[in-house]
Amino acid sequence: MPEHDMPDPDSAKCNGQRRGLLRFFSGIFRARTGRYTLAALVFAAGSAAAININTQIYNPETRQWEQYDPNRAIRYFQQHGQTPAAFQRKIVTFRTAEKPGTVVIDGDKHFLYVVLPNFQAVRYGIGVGREGFGWAGIVNVGRKAEWPVWTPPAEMVARDPKAAKYAGGMPGGPDNPLGPRALYLYEGNKDSIYRIHGTTEPWSIGLNVSSGCIRLHNDDIVDLYERVEVGAKVIVLMQGAALYKGV
Amino acid sequence: MGGHEIHELAPMNKLTVPFFALGLLVTGATATRAADVVIGVPDWSSATVTAHVLKALLKTEFGLEAGLEFGTNEAIFAAMDAGTEDIHPEVWLPNHSSLNAEYVLRRKSVVMSPKGVPARQGICLTKATQDAYDIVSVNDLTDPDKAAVFDTDGNGKGEIWIGAEDWSSTKVEKIRAKSYGYDQTMDLLEAPEAIAVTAIDAAIAGDKPLVFYCYEPHHTFELHDIVFLDEPPYDPRKWTVVMPDDDPDWLEKSSAGVAWPPSFFHINYSSKLANERPDVAAFLSAIRLDVDTVSEMTYALIVERRDPEEFSAQWMADNADRIAAWRKAANH
Repeated sequence: MPEHDMPDPDSAKCNGQRRGLLRFFSGIFRARTGRYTLAALVFAAGSAAAININTQIYNPETRQWEQYDPNRAIRYFQQHGQTPAAFQRKIVTFRTAEKPGTVVIDGDKHFLYVVLPNFQAVRYGIGVGREGFGWAGIVNVGRKAEWPVWTPPAEMVARDPKAAKYAGGMPGGPDNPLGPRALYLYEGNKDSIYRIHGTTEPWSIGLNVSSGCIRLHNDDIVDLYERVEVGAKVIVLMQGAALYKGV
Repeated sequence: MGGHEIHELAPMNKLTVPFFALGLLVTGATATRAADVVIGVPDWSSATVTAHVLKALLKTEFGLEAGLEFGTNEAIFAAMDAGTEDIHPEVWLPNHSSLNAEYVLRRKSVVMSPKGVPARQGICLTKATQDAYDIVSVNDLTDPDKAAVFDTDGNGKGEIWIGAEDWSSTKVEKIRAKSYGYDQTMDLLEAPEAIAVTAIDAAIAGDKPLVFYCYEPHHTFELHDIVFLDEPPYDPRKWTVVMPDDDPDWLEKSSAGVAWPPSFFHINYSSKLANERPDVAAFLSAIRLDVDTVSEMTYALIVERRDPEEFSAQWMADNADRIAAWRKAANH
């Protein structure tokens, strides 16, 4: 399914995205001048519909801009039945001073780590929405939810009849774009509007091409949910600021 | 880390962000009203750790209850000037020279202990990066091909973390980048240390090239194989550093295309404390720390997350002779 037909998976974030359209540009400016800002580089929910075939994604491995073709990612997933091995959950060495239970998100590499004792971590592959890039910061898990309700933002309800029928909230379930679990990221006691959640688009793991925040395989978000406590620190690392062009 | 005049997490724009592990060490230890002595605690790891050890020393040696008060360097100096705080555990030179000039030399409300711990600051990268890409000198960062090794956003320029936005050292690193010329090949990033340090952890785990401002002692050197990039030695004739507070054209008027001058950090304390408790002041001036000691303490408290009180008690027991020698020196 082309991305622009997908409902945006998180109402609070989507509201933030709308407000964040201008911040998208100011975010790039700040990053260019070298200051990472949390909640910068936010892509407006409304503009998800405007994504076009000229979108390119920067691949940090090859240091090349590559044409984004969602169908290619879908085909890969259908052929292999899973995402590339690098993005499958595994235990890795992770030497850090951060305490076990801390979450580290490395958007460049499309990895999310949960620190374990003895310099180890669980590493998950992640898909990162455009709004997930361009900010760095330290937040915390303010709350967790099983089978979270997804409520489309008002602007999506207005423009998308499919979303409109869920204006009052889409119950949790296999078709819910948040997937089976969600971790809500807070700054202190305040909702940051960012979430870590599951996905109905497993082919998007390892890419930063989909709408949504930080998404994991549904099996992985369930695993992560069990490992991370409310109050856990979440460190979002610095990363390239302009990972898209043509959008 | 040297010289970090942090006010708050300004780089984070709308959201303020808690400081990293250090904050955990300070949390719960800030009940200062009932304290006999107040130690100001800046945000970097070694200063936080030394603050805890000083707190324990003041208790056992003098029976004083010390409170820990988190704050910026400017705030701690101002509080010592006002008499509401008593000790800064780790004042870096040359980074805090201007604060020393104001409060130690001009106002004479703060005293700098005479013996500093030698320290080092510069540009570091992971050893794996150095080996893979043959990047050994700061001048290599001016090579566009080598700088591009650190490019994560596709603009052809690498990225380098130069410190937190409000650190004085960050201003100097901007000057150095301009003077060496890698401001043309690299994007200079500012962010809180907590993020930068964790980025090193992730770069090692993910085999990703990384280059960054660094200072020693720091627990990251104990965790990872990190190396300094070579630089021409410090030359005072090539070190012209004008700070933004002194001149709006500070960057244009500055030049520093050489290594940092030899750096030291000292314990500072208020003149008020020196007047009221000259025995305590003399003891603070007699303390002799060194890089290995600070590194050991930092690793224990930051990486191993030892309980500060438990660790301090153990450390004092293990170093009883050393502490006795400080007491003896203070009494002469």
